[in-house]
Amino acid sequence: MRLLIIVALLAIQGLNAQNFKFGKVSKKELVDNTYEKDTTANAVVLYKSHNIKFMYNDDDGFTQRNEIHERIKIYNKEGFNWATRKVRLYDRSASKREKLIGLNGYTYTLENGKVVKTKLKKESIFEEKNNQYLATKSFTMPNISEGCIIEFQYKVDSPYPQIDDVILQYNIPIEKLEVSIKTPEYFNYKKQMNLKAKFFPDIKESKTQAKVTSLNKERSGSGLQLRTSENSYSNWSYDVNVMEIEEQNIPALKTEPFVNNLNNYRSKLILEYAYFKGPNQGVKSYADTWESVAETIIKSNGFGGQLEKENYFEKEVDALISGIEDPIEKVNVIYNFVQNRMTWNGNIGFESRNGVKKAYKDRKGNVGDINLMLTAILKYVGLNANPVLTSTRANGIPVTPTISGFNYVITAVNIDNKLLLLDATNTITAPGTLPLRTVNWQGRMIMPNGTSNWIDLSPKVFSRENVLLDAEITKELSVTGQVRKRLTNYSAYNFRNKNVALQEDDLIRNMEEDKGEIEISDLEVKNLKTLNKPVSYSYNYTLENEVEEIGDKLYISPLLFLATKETIFKQNERDYPIDFIYPIVTKQLVNLKIPEGYAVESLPENIKLQFNGNEGDFSLLVKETKGTIQIIINNNLKATYIIPENYTQFKAFTDAIVEKENEKIVLKKL
Amino acid sequence: MRFKKSISIIAMLISLTTYAQEKLIALTIDSELKDNANAVVRLRETQIEFSSYNKMITKGKRVVTVLNASGRRNVGAHLSYDNEINIKKLGAIIYDALGNEIKKFKKNDFTDESAISSFSLYEDSRVKYLDYTPVSYPYTVEFYYETITNNTAYIPQWMPLQNYYVSTEKSIFKLIYDESVGINKKMNNLGNHDIEEINTPGQLLYIGSNIKAIKPEAYSPRFKDLVPYLQVTLNKFSYEGYTSETNDWKTMGKWMYDELLADRTQLSIKTQDEIKRLINGIQDPIEKAKIVYNYVQENTRYISIQEGIGGIQPILASKVDEVKYGDCKGLTNYTKALLDVVGVESYYTRVYASENNTVDVDKDFVSFVGQTNHVILNIPNEKEDLWLECTSQTSPFNYSANFTDDRDVFVITPEGGKIVHTKEYKTEDNLQSTKAKVSVDVSGNIFSEIKIDSEGTQYGNHNMIENASEKDKKLYYKNYLSDINNLEIVSLSHSNDKEKIVFSETIKIKGNKYASKAGIRLLFAPNMFNKTTNVPPRYTSRKLPFKIERGFTDIDEYEITLPETLEVEALMKPVSIDNQFGSYSASIEKNSENKLVYKRKLILNKGDYKKEDYKAFRDFYLKIVKHDKSKIALKTIQ
Repeated sequence: MRLLIIVALLAIQGLNAQNFKFGKVSKKELVDNTYEKDTTANAVVLYKSHNIKFMYNDDDGFTQRNEIHERIKIYNKEGFNWATRKVRLYDRSASKREKLIGLNGYTYTLENGKVVKTKLKKESIFEEKNNQYLATKSFTMPNISEGCIIEFQYKVDSPYPQIDDVILQYNIPIEKLEVSIKTPEYFNYKKQMNLKAKFFPDIKESKTQAKVTSLNKERSGSGLQLRTSENSYSNWSYDVNVMEIEEQNIPALKTEPFVNNLNNYRSKLILEYAYFKGPNQGVKSYADTWESVAETIIKSNGFGGQLEKENYFEKEVDALISGIEDPIEKVNVIYNFVQNRMTWNGNIGFESRNGVKKAYKDRKGNVGDINLMLTAILKYVGLNANPVLTSTRANGIPVTPTISGFNYVITAVNIDNKLLLLDATNTITAPGTLPLRTVNWQGRMIMPNGTSNWIDLSPKVFSRENVLLDAEITKELSVTGQVRKRLTNYSAYNFRNKNVALQEDDLIRNMEEDKGEIEISDLEVKNLKTLNKPVSYSYNYTLENEVEEIGDKLYISPLLFLATKETIFKQNERDYPIDFIYPIVTKQLVNLKIPEGYAVESLPENIKLQFNGNEGDFSLLVKETKGTIQIIINNNLKATYIIPENYTQFKAFTDAIVEKENEKIVLKKL
Repeated sequence: MRFKKSISIIAMLISLTTYAQEKLIALTIDSELKDNANAVVRLRETQIEFSSYNKMITKGKRVVTVLNASGRRNVGAHLSYDNEINIKKLGAIIYDALGNEIKKFKKNDFTDESAISSFSLYEDSRVKYLDYTPVSYPYTVEFYYETITNNTAYIPQWMPLQNYYVSTEKSIFKLIYDESVGINKKMNNLGNHDIEEINTPGQLLYIGSNIKAIKPEAYSPRFKDLVPYLQVTLNKFSYEGYTSETNDWKTMGKWMYDELLADRTQLSIKTQDEIKRLINGIQDPIEKAKIVYNYVQENTRYISIQEGIGGIQPILASKVDEVKYGDCKGLTNYTKALLDVVGVESYYTRVYASENNTVDVDKDFVSFVGQTNHVILNIPNEKEDLWLECTSQTSPFNYSANFTDDRDVFVITPEGGKIVHTKEYKTEDNLQSTKAKVSVDVSGNIFSEIKIDSEGTQYGNHNMIENASEKDKKLYYKNYLSDINNLEIVSLSHSNDKEKIVFSETIKIKGNKYASKAGIRLLFAPNMFNKTTNVPPRYTSRKLPFKIERGFTDIDEYEITLPETLEVEALMKPVSIDNQFGSYSASIEKNSENKLVYKRKLILNKGDYKKEDYKAFRDFYLKIVKHDKSKIALKTIQ
């Protein structure tokens, strides 16, 4: 009886359990032609395993090995691109090269009810040397058709202790995922999940032991090299830290509008190499606590070392600030000086690439070169300036103490207990306004004594847009008038970014775009290059076919060509937040002169709208005095980060604004 | 052409060396050359020497003054190479505005990268480029190189004006060849630029001087059709070890066929039997071809790999049959192989494929594979030849719109090559027909079922939505009908008739408050689903001619039912416009007490137009926009 039950249980298990051993693709898997949990999937990863371990030998010390095994079901032609894989490998030199080995793959298809296996051959495998640092190994599977399954496995051996981010989510669903990461006790990693992701796995941690037979017992050195010095065989063992993930049905990562980098939302495990502790040795720290992160950075020659050098700029800076007492003015002068002297070469990084001294002489450098130099000069003139580590918007957000989470540095200068943030790599912002690439939540300010603290980077100052629109409707129902605009902070930044390199006729053409049948003339732009003042511009216009004449009535939008014509947010709901980055205030004042022989029949009603308490508000006020209609529109958006939960409310708010802006003024013939 | 023949070559060449020194000083540039220019090519010297038909030595020098940051991309200090191109010399010198040397770059200072196109999995092409960040403007880059190759099939063209926003002070092209081999040459779009031609036996010499920069304008033809360029070919050339002697398309095709295509179409008996079984009982060659095309689409996919001779020769059909993938050459050759098995005649065809421009193979100038970038399959047919795009798994049979249509292509037959024009998709065939039944309620909401049928080139604009997810489809229609704020997609469906090549969409929508209220009136534009809103940009003085590459026809017919409590107060008058660019008509009529019918037809003709006509073209669009947004007024019955 008992035996029977066991047999029965085994039979059930046998039916249900899929076999993920390499090469054991079942007919059932091939017959299945949709993925019920996500019917939009063009392909599904049936199984992925990713094992990371370290192997030891006396000659090379430890080598990191990544073992990858994937089985992917392809449902339709849209899914065919999953049959091609590219693997990036570091390739700096013979000894500093990652190697892809043991690549092995098959495509499984069903032909006349039989499973057919086609092998991945050499002719479908390619190796490309991308540049000095990188190579790519790529392969494409043979015999792909709708419904087929591909399976491949390979290993990547690396001489580095640093572990690449472990990707836990694809743009297609993953049915079963197994990850194991086994690291020797000597290499210590900080683990961190991508907090912006929607999927988080369970991570099981444990310890085990590894045994090694070695030539000697005195081991020393750092990094992956444990050197030998005596000639005697010995057995030794070390602890191995184990992290394991076993997950099922990981949803596909799907993009949506207003998401500029989908990878920021991908589920992944980030392992920061924190410190090395060799046998019988002290700790060599790479990152751990914020104190040790700050200390490591401040002590490194590429960072802290660069802040102490002064002699290269002394002469010029002394001349520059002689007679200036006001700290704000000092900042302006020095910021301007560095901004003008230095050209950013487009490379990011918080460390100085070639040293600030050389950068200063060459007049160009990476972000580290320029902003560490800026910090050093500000300190030199007696200001309390410190570097702030940041992460660009493309790079994601560092949450736990890591060095590699950061990729950028800016300067914070403390004046009367207020921090002014500076980035001299760009040529279009004034002190206090950072280029948008580095405005990403918070940065870590590093003090000379090795302490550090968070600095909020999100702009608090409103970017303002003030508009004055004068309009007069002529007898022929054309509209003529003038527009005057004034833009501050990021509104000015965006305008400068777009227009600073344009010739006047192109600028006019840009402005005429999407404004209907308009002709713009007498354009005057002020302060396009004077960064510490708002940009302002004005132009005259004539506009045709904006006034609609239906019967004996005229219909006009209160904002004419400046109205937002279309709703911006079209989705009903969202998966990811929308980030406006900075708060905005728009004030629009319209004076519309009514043509002779007409009178107001109806005006849009005054309105006041709000979003989430006072996070956003909009008001429209209309009044008529002596043949002129005056419209005042105020729109404040304090909220810069709209979370998906508030999206519906936010959409309703913006939709209502668009609707209101398009409501008509009606004039009747007298 | 206008040639100045008075200057002797020797005097010319002597003067060049001293001349070159001045080119390093940015301040001496003529102000006319700075107009609309971000960079000025001060001196461009190209010398190409053929010591024999299979050895080409290219020596080049470019001196470019960059005037501003936008001009950096025009420095052109890069060199493409592959296994067949040996770089003998490479270097660059940077000068400041006064011509003082700032920095020198040697060959090893250049950055070396693979140059794989985005559509390829692998190519053997690489590039060496100068990575230099300037610290001030203007600055000048002198760049020089020398390469040797045994491939003489592609000879660099001489283009004295290299790009928009770049002017040229002096550009010299010299080509030294063996008279017994002989060359062919053709000068295009000479215009009235200052270009001298001083040709002597065994040598070509062209000198272009003071060519002003041009700016791009909307609707203008592609850059290459606007500027002068010289094409040269050798009568006998070598490519990857193959030798060819051709000076007409027929022999060029014959050579291609014999050397690169013949004997590459064998297939296994198994595959032959399979395809024979599929066409069993069918006689009509077109019906057979449809089955073969479908077989290829079902069984293969497109993967681009360009390596060595593989850049021009297809991989064996039997190899494609084995791995089930290939690039355009491999898949076309494979399809041809299958058609051979079932007795349908077809020819491998080289084409310059591009979406925006229809680019011809120059039938008057024989060049290596006709300067093309793609391969399709031609099936000759009495009525109208058929053209198969073998890289697509979804395209209908014989559909070439928006990619390889309406252009001269190079068809390669066993007897030789010929130039044939591909199918032109005519204005009346590129049809989008939108029919809708709409009801409007008293609050201004609209409810509608919309049917859109698309054919010809317009089929290609609509059918890509077919395989999108439901969520993306909804978003697509919200953008397509973006004029209706507060749009709800109630339901949607498609059908894709690949036989007739018609894509049909049916969308049920609700548009909340589409009609706006003004007092007791409701206002709305009856053109709800196909408004033209964009107007071509305005130019105070248009400089370039313009072009409409493909014509189209849009027909709209909406039946609008009104609520009984509302009556029509004002309807717009019917309009009808007809001109050289096309025609537009729109009307709205009362059909019965509460039914209106809106009809609209827009035709845009394909054509090349003079710059003087641009304003009229823009005015045509302004009128369309105006009438498309015209509103009607309804009011409550009192």
